[in-house]
Amino acid sequence: MSELVSLSLPEKTFILHGIDVNFRNDGRSRLDCRPIELQTKIMDQVNGSAKLKIDDTEILVGVKVEEDTPDENSPSEGKLEFFVDCSANANPIFEGKGGDELATEISDALSLAYKDVFDLTELCILPSKKCWKLYVDVLILACGGNLFDAVAAAVKAALYSTEIPQVKDAAVDGVEADIFVSDDIFNSVKLDVKNAPLLISLCKIGDNYVVDPTPEEEVCSSATVVVAVMPNGRTSGGLKTGYGSLMVETWRKAIQIAKKVGVQLNNEIMKALEEEEKLGPNRALFGFL
Amino acid sequence: MPSVQATSIKEQLRNREDGRKHDEFRKMSIKLGVVTQVKGSAYIEMGDTKVICSVHPPREIHNKVSFSPEGELFVEFKYALFATTDKRDAQLEKEEQNYSSIMKRALEPAVCRNEFPNFQIDIYVRVLDDNGSALAAAIIAASLALANASVPMKGIVTAVTAGIHDDLVLYDLTVEEEKLCSTKVSKENLDRGIIMQAMLSQYNQITEPFYSGNLDCDVLCDTMEALQKASENIHLLLQETLLKYVNKTLEQDRESKSVNKKLEAMDVNNTEKEPKK
Amino acid sequence: MSYTEENGESKILVRLANNRIDHTLPVQQDPRTAFYTPGEEISTQPDFLRGHGTYMDTQQVLRASVAGNLERVNKLISVRPYKTRYQGEIGDVVIGRITEVQQKRWKVDTNAKLDSALLLSSVNLPGGELRRRSAEDEQAMRRYLQEGDVVCAEVQSIFADGSLSLHTRVLKYGKLSQGIMMKLSPSMIKRQKQHFHNLANGAVLILGNNGNVWIGASQSGQDSSQGGFTQDYSRIDQENREVCARLQNCIRCLVKSNILLSDTSVTYAYEESMKYEIKELIQDEVQFNVALLTHQRLVA
Repeated sequence: MSELVSLSLPEKTFILHGIDVNFRNDGRSRLDCRPIELQTKIMDQVNGSAKLKIDDTEILVGVKVEEDTPDENSPSEGKLEFFVDCSANANPIFEGKGGDELATEISDALSLAYKDVFDLTELCILPSKKCWKLYVDVLILACGGNLFDAVAAAVKAALYSTEIPQVKDAAVDGVEADIFVSDDIFNSVKLDVKNAPLLISLCKIGDNYVVDPTPEEEVCSSATVVVAVMPNGRTSGGLKTGYGSLMVETWRKAIQIAKKVGVQLNNEIMKALEEEEKLGPNRALFGFL
Repeated sequence: MPSVQATSIKEQLRNREDGRKHDEFRKMSIKLGVVTQVKGSAYIEMGDTKVICSVHPPREIHNKVSFSPEGELFVEFKYALFATTDKRDAQLEKEEQNYSSIMKRALEPAVCRNEFPNFQIDIYVRVLDDNGSALAAAIIAASLALANASVPMKGIVTAVTAGIHDDLVLYDLTVEEEKLCSTKVSKENLDRGIIMQAMLSQYNQITEPFYSGNLDCDVLCDTMEALQKASENIHLLLQETLLKYVNKTLEQDRESKSVNKKLEAMDVNNTEKEPKK
Repeated sequence: MSYTEENGESKILVRLANNRIDHTLPVQQDPRTAFYTPGEEISTQPDFLRGHGTYMDTQQVLRASVAGNLERVNKLISVRPYKTRYQGEIGDVVIGRITEVQQKRWKVDTNAKLDSALLLSSVNLPGGELRRRSAEDEQAMRRYLQEGDVVCAEVQSIFADGSLSLHTRVLKYGKLSQGIMMKLSPSMIKRQKQHFHNLANGAVLILGNNGNVWIGASQSGQDSSQGGFTQDYSRIDQENREVCARLQNCIRCLVKSNILLSDTSVTYAYEESMKYEIKELIQDEVQFNVALLTHQRLVA
């Protein structure tokens, strides 16, 4: 990941020693997260959307649903595709192709996390003929550290809010399949996200792991472990970013922390999403204000 | 969902198609310096999986805005057009990109990048034939090619692929087994998945732990520990290969030197004779 | 490195945007400050002097070219934009980060339009006394200050292209050691005579005119000011560290509610924050509460 901030050696020392004694620069302990702000269904043109904010990090996710033909290898499954855009809004270094590397890294991590555990069969309309394809588009508006986690949480929220048109009727006419979608826009099916994983990244600084790092902390780290954690505490994928390497034992610790934080974060997010749903369709929309 | 029967998959995985035991590796053959035009190269066969890798010497990074105190690696992982059977283009391209960045992350910790600031080393990998575990083979090939190119490294990077299905752990997967291990099964919370673990065995350091599936955290960690042991064996093998190669080159060197000497001697004779004429 | 000890539950807060806290303070608009938008007419009278942020159109009408407050000094009219990069003025105290080491000068990012220059001849080199800068000094420049280092300096002069020339020839300026740097908008800093503050709680606070704020952790705060290039990598004790963290969080509170930063406002905020734990200060409710209490004390 390209470095977004630069720090002097004494500043790094200050951060490093702080993490050693479990006291970070903003008073958090190593495993504390910053407060998250969340809102879904903020865009009209898409089937599902969410905006998430952690301190300076701002993520906007839109989910579009389109008709498609299933893959030959998996005729009874729909499709899910991630696209991440690091906008030059967030940082001038993302201009042009500057953000591509980071963007693919994040979208690869998302596909990795979702590919084995997300149930795509409910997106199938007619096996081998028709299915829904979900385009999950992630826009990074501002980065204030911890992009992987923020993006994955925003994606989950957006998927939770996604409504798939109700199929009234489907018919096979020769080779062509036709589907008839209900005209009533309120007549739609909610997407099931009970298995949707979150990404938890653990930033290794000194001998310790830190969750929800700030950009300054990210600069101090040699390696970050990204673990996809499912709501039930199982894991569906993992990778490492950064130039460092890890002992097997350290890795085990990372997994344990990720599991704990992941389950907890998931609970809180689901709670918030359910609470928002209760507010009904007439709740005030905040968007970017 | 056409609930794939977990038991049938397990049965298929238990009796491996090539008759190997669950923790048995395929036959591995390696040749170094196969491409004469480049600084370093390596060719590896793991069963039917064949990978060739070449390394270009450090060159200055172009169009770089600021000075980078550490050298950079550029990795390109590509399948030869005939290497795979049933993957479609767009998907394949994505996978190639993904694998390229995984390889980069796996190799970076090993290379002494501080020794060539503002320089970049290019690593090109071609999978000639893919019968499973291509990524692991590519990483091994790349680290040998780097050694062959005399790029300073802290150690040789080894890589192992393993598949998990329920309580079954298989090493060095074939394509068929890869597919089986990543097939979704109807039974929830059944451990399954694929791990590709790259290691610096001398230091017991994992340089890239890449996995996907649906796994219990403890099962995952235990498997990784087991893979660490497996890596050690591969590491020994790689060391031996390098050693043999170095010995061979030295011998060749000596031979060619002695030939040169003979030639020189002849030359001397010639020149001595000439003025007499 | 045991993680079992860390089982103390850390709560994760997820808030809905619907429950968002509004950080604006109940402030009465000061009637004296007029706010202008680009293109807005300021005056039709021809006897005003055109200052920054204004332009004269073909009808000889003076109009604003930026959005901001009108400032009038006798006949000179200028509009000061609300959010801007730092416009340097001679004598300002700035905090910047070294971006490049060149021959005989360092380039410093001071949040100005152009990178500022710190000439080798305008720093106190180790050894103290005035002396000629030798070729050896030039070669050792990266040893004194390298990319990423934070310096505190004064604006010495302004080059023709608008970039600033800095100097650190007074003992209080120089390289900064351990601590936290915060990048804020220059308009958040209240212009004052004094920008170095040794707060009652023992911390060193430097409010740079360019919007960068430094919270220094070194107990031996004088160290950094010895023009000294010696760096202190010793461990900062917990108490000191907590003060720094609390200060940082307090400044965040003030900035979120648009309270100008001065030693008074920061001290008030620090005192008001004492009833909260440091890590609570990253929550919106708490932040607003601290800002509100500070505001009330400032107005009183």
